[in-house]
Amino acid sequence: MIWHILLLSGLVIFSILAILSKDLIKSAISLAVASLLLGILFFQMQAPYAGVFEISVVAGLITVLFMLTIALTKTEGDVRESKPARIIFPLFFVAFILIDFFVMKGLLQKVPALPGAAELGTFGDVLWKQRTFDLVGQLAVILAGVFAVLALFRKRDKDE
Amino acid sequence: MNSAWFVYMAFAAGLLFVGVYCLLTMKNVIKLFIGIEVISKGLSLGLLATGFVKKNTLLAQSLVITFIVVEVCLVATALALIINIYRHTKSLDVRKLTKLKG
Repeated sequence: MIWHILLLSGLVIFSILAILSKDLIKSAISLAVASLLLGILFFQMQAPYAGVFEISVVAGLITVLFMLTIALTKTEGDVRESKPARIIFPLFFVAFILIDFFVMKGLLQKVPALPGAAELGTFGDVLWKQRTFDLVGQLAVILAGVFAVLALFRKRDKDE
Repeated sequence: MNSAWFVYMAFAAGLLFVGVYCLLTMKNVIKLFIGIEVISKGLSLGLLATGFVKKNTLLAQSLVITFIVVEVCLVATALALIINIYRHTKSLDVRKLTKLKG
């Protein structure tokens, strides 16, 4: 449990660094480190497939996509973020954490969650047999993403 | 076990707060998108932690993998949109997108 709390603290700290740092490259790298910590946490929670996806896809592919976008959109004068928002953040964050720790326990007893029955079979059984419709949805989402990117980078016709 | 669930969900809520704060205060479009990524990390942590605590890891894992696939498609499309926005406005400032041109 102590390892888990350390990993979770690191995850939150790197996420805060990702949103507060001025340099976009540093933000993207902080986000990648946060994904890496989340992936390690998934491994610790006996979810190796989710961990592998988190590390390879989110920490790897998405970071590369972010870097590519940052490199393609380099401007001389970067967008100026408001300073008060950065300064006030710790105050709001501490207030939220305090409220969070007071409210969350009561909230969790009221909110219904997954049933607590022990599972049978392997991960493959669950993914391919119980959640087959999810896989169809995933295929549709991937195709939609590919067509959206193709449409956004389509060359203009000569008539336009 | 309930106390462990409480800790995971409290941290997931913290991540959600960080992401929402970024969305409310930042002006750079890429920064806003990093905020959305942080929110999605909180969500996937909440999904898997609930499965782990309730001894339903396999189902939670398959949900998280579905969520990651959706997230990647979202990122690819949104970053393509951001590059197009940059080509049109020569800036990443979200305030410049409020001007409507016929």
